[in-house]
Amino acid sequence: MAKKTYDLLFKLLLIGDSGVGKTCVLFRFSDDAFNTTFISTIGIDFKIKTVELQGKKIKLQIWDTAGQERFHTITTSYYRGAMGIMLVYDITNGKSFENISKWLRNIDEHANEDVERMLLGNKCDMDDKRVVPRGKGEQIAREHGIRFFETSAKANINIEKAFLTLAEDILRKTPVKEPNSENVDISSGGGVTGWKSKCC
Amino acid sequence: MDQSVAIQETLAEGEYCIIAVQGVLCEGDSRQSRLLGLIRYRLEHGGQEHALFLYTHRRMAITGDDVSLDQIVPVSRDFTLEEVSPGGELYVLGSDVTVQLDTAELNLIFHLPFGSHTRMFLQEVARACPGFDPATPDPEFQWLSRYRCTQQEPPLPCWNSASGIRIGGGGSHFDDLRPNGKGLLVDQSSRGQDKPENLLTRQTKSKSEITDMVRSSTITVSDKAHILTMQKFGLRDTIVKSRLVQKEEDYTYIQNFRFFVGTYNVNGQSPKECLQPWLSHGIQAPDVYCVGFQELDLSKEAFFFHDTPKEEEWFKAVSESLHPDAKYAKVKLIRLVGIMLLLYVKEEHAAHISEVGAETVGTGIMGRMGNKGGVAIRFQFHNTSICVVNSHLAAHTEEYERRNQDYKDICSRMQFCQVDPSLPPLTISKHDVILWLGDLNYRIEELDVEKVKKLIEEKDFQTLYAYDQLKTQVAAKAVFEGFTEGELTFQPTYKYDTGSDEWDTSEKCRAPAWCDRILWKGKNITQLSYQSHMALKTSDHKPVSSVFDIGVRVVKEELYRKTLEEIVRSLDKMENANIPSVSLSKREFHFQNVKYMQLRVESFTIHNGQVPCQFEFINKPDEESYCKQWLNANPSKGFLLPDAAMDIELQVFVNKTTATKLSSGEDKIEDILVLHLDRGKDYFLSVSGNYLPSCFGTPIHTLCYMRDPVSDLSLETVRELTLMPLGIEDDGSHLEKPMKIPKELWIMVDYLYRNAVQQEDLFQQPGLRLEFEHIRDCLDTGMIDTLSNSPTSNHSVAEALLLFLESLPEPVICYSAYHNCLECSGNYTASKQVISTLPTFHKNVFHYLMEFLQELLKNSAKNHLDENILASIFGSLLLRNPAGHQKLEMVEKKKAQEFIHQFLCNSP
Repeated sequence: MAKKTYDLLFKLLLIGDSGVGKTCVLFRFSDDAFNTTFISTIGIDFKIKTVELQGKKIKLQIWDTAGQERFHTITTSYYRGAMGIMLVYDITNGKSFENISKWLRNIDEHANEDVERMLLGNKCDMDDKRVVPRGKGEQIAREHGIRFFETSAKANINIEKAFLTLAEDILRKTPVKEPNSENVDISSGGGVTGWKSKCC
Repeated sequence: MDQSVAIQETLAEGEYCIIAVQGVLCEGDSRQSRLLGLIRYRLEHGGQEHALFLYTHRRMAITGDDVSLDQIVPVSRDFTLEEVSPGGELYVLGSDVTVQLDTAELNLIFHLPFGSHTRMFLQEVARACPGFDPATPDPEFQWLSRYRCTQQEPPLPCWNSASGIRIGGGGSHFDDLRPNGKGLLVDQSSRGQDKPENLLTRQTKSKSEITDMVRSSTITVSDKAHILTMQKFGLRDTIVKSRLVQKEEDYTYIQNFRFFVGTYNVNGQSPKECLQPWLSHGIQAPDVYCVGFQELDLSKEAFFFHDTPKEEEWFKAVSESLHPDAKYAKVKLIRLVGIMLLLYVKEEHAAHISEVGAETVGTGIMGRMGNKGGVAIRFQFHNTSICVVNSHLAAHTEEYERRNQDYKDICSRMQFCQVDPSLPPLTISKHDVILWLGDLNYRIEELDVEKVKKLIEEKDFQTLYAYDQLKTQVAAKAVFEGFTEGELTFQPTYKYDTGSDEWDTSEKCRAPAWCDRILWKGKNITQLSYQSHMALKTSDHKPVSSVFDIGVRVVKEELYRKTLEEIVRSLDKMENANIPSVSLSKREFHFQNVKYMQLRVESFTIHNGQVPCQFEFINKPDEESYCKQWLNANPSKGFLLPDAAMDIELQVFVNKTTATKLSSGEDKIEDILVLHLDRGKDYFLSVSGNYLPSCFGTPIHTLCYMRDPVSDLSLETVRELTLMPLGIEDDGSHLEKPMKIPKELWIMVDYLYRNAVQQEDLFQQPGLRLEFEHIRDCLDTGMIDTLSNSPTSNHSVAEALLLFLESLPEPVICYSAYHNCLECSGNYTASKQVISTLPTFHKNVFHYLMEFLQELLKNSAKNHLDENILASIFGSLLLRNPAGHQKLEMVEKKKAQEFIHQFLCNSP
């Protein structure tokens, strides 16, 4: 009779250059809200959200990291233990896209080997300011064998989908012990035996 | 509460309940509460035997009435009761103790509550085990034989009183009944017991409670179904459940369903006629049938042994007479001696029936036996809980108070176990809808038989009703409080000559009475009909029926989903709001122009949010402390109450240990602190700034090459010169010719030579911190005049000299020469030889200092200095152990002093 409130806990991490919208992506997912004022994340923040996938209650603990360069050595130490990493760039910021390979290297060096990765091209609502074509994002994702979404925290595009897909991918790799009662054949239950009063 | 007292009441003489514990019997996936009593029996010839008595019980057992014996396990030689660790689960402190009971015949698992009482129980049981001493005879357990022959235990109010036989493909049928999309986000989850489902799925419907179709199959009773709804309840689940209840109106609507309720006292007869006139008289097929019988079997056999052929006879008779326009599924049959209740639903509703429970309460002889009493079936229909009670209350006209009491006993003793064993059992009153039927046995008072019959003939039921005991008792609030009964528009249903519509002509010539009644309690209930059925003549009673439209809360899946989602979101929100969070008044700290041994402080305030929090500066990866050596946070950890604030000071202090690297550029005034909140976020604090290199902490040879004051040099030059190797000699390659000794050393010594040779207690009195800072600045900026002109105390300059020597990264006598020096201490020639091997600048400094000290000794009459004092002060400054900062051991210290001593006593 363990008091357990969820089946699984997945730790996810958001990384990427400063200003690409990691905090907004998280805020949209956790609170379904968007805040236009930019407050640089100086540190590590996290939020939880409970989702249900394939009949399992999954608590997502999502860590939002500081994107600023000067904190990189520290933030990489938070990679360990993450089961999923969302690598975010800004489609209106070429530099943030160029840095993707650097971030991917960071993941290779510091994250668990079997971490599930995902690439997000954020701010896709700002098509007029786009400098990174969608195809380029798709291409680099393909090269690294990871999923890719263009998202917009502001316009709420693909945010939920991205998180759920990542969680699903992790779930797929997670060995889940199926309770044997799943297969109980109620028609074969020939009554409870062995504990009726044997003295009568 | 010691529940062994209750058990003791039920025991025979010589039997003693040593200790009792309440536990949960785990059988497969089922969980049932049991009281475990360890019973000792003293044998006549001395010695004793033990047995474990397992009881079903009501709530916490207080008296013997509250327990009923379910099983006896003799504590024989093959008996073991051992604690086991639950499969695969980590042991959690405070969790239940799982024990396994093993004998040759059986194997039971119990969860016992955590704590000392369970420990004591297990110890007592262990003590009771007969052991393997062959000298003691095997226990024979003859005293238990009395339990073997008595069958008269009250019927077990437990789930498994039914046989659990299942015939035909009931299971697959159940699957067919599953409605599409029932399981919400995930359908399949609802069947797995191990999964704490239903956080997001609604209360699982235990559809398999509904057994096979009546028309197509034989009697089938399965109680395994509730097992499938067994869940693990966490706090979060509990909150979700209670919020769902609160918001029920948001996602349900009321839909009317037609209920047929019937009661029939059959006077021990077998069915002889078709029951359709009673059961299928309406045009519309009811959605639910609740059919109750009393006096099903009046034989002694039925009374003492529980089986009766009548059960099946009447069940079949009812099943065959249900409304022909619909197919019905039997949900449940429950019987207590002659009191039987049947529940059927239309096939298409079966999937919406869940949490079916059935219990019995005997109120007959000894207040226990089943000749009188009640049976009840409770269930959930869509989202409405319904309890149907069939009771046979005490007989005889004058016994109305006894009837009232029976009613109260049924209400208080009828308890349905909940799926979650930690929840208290449900009582009848805890249901949305209560339908109460039965032979309530209330009679017509104060009128003689003839008058009654006359009123009946005149169909003046209204006048007659005024004399009805049930009416008067209800009016007096003595019974059935809150219940409603429809108007009696039919003649009394008791007592007729069997096989006729004639009033009782027997000797007793009973007065007619409305014994058979149907009452209800709850909202949204409309009675459509309330009548008797004269056509049936099998019994001395006439059957009564009532048809209701009952408004049942039906769930709208989309709205339910939405509500559930909202609840889950609000819980997430709550959880997020409970993550400790603070705000910091400042996150960037700049320390400009930090000087040697100058304490610099910047402070900031941590304002806590709404959650109590523990904060601490934590180490960054691969670092041994949370910040650089020249930095310190005060306090570096602490606890904050909600809304509280705390000031934290960041202190920068560069000393001899850190100065050189800051001068050489190997280190910078730059650091990031990680302020960690326990179970919460991390905050990064940036520290930046610059260090002004000083002569303090700069190597001797570097200073010799610095012809200009340190502050006049570019940082680049300082860096270069600081990184210059130690052994460098003047080979003329440098642009500027180096000085013989550092000018800063000369300035201080010169100052002391001119002002302090006669100073009392020189080198023994501390200087002033402010004056030190002044001296440092004078030395680093080359403002020698300022030093000479300002009133600086001799002691401060003397201390500055000592600090200067202490701050040298390489001591005057180089580390490499340290051990040689100690070895030849006492041998002046050898000592001089060692000194001569020092690098030139170091050698120069050493001789310069010795000359100065000898000069001081010339004035010892005034300054009270002697060789010993100076040797002890300078010994440990000039000679430093290369192994590190640890204090010199006494022996080494002594030798170092001796070494210096030689040079003070002898002229060079």
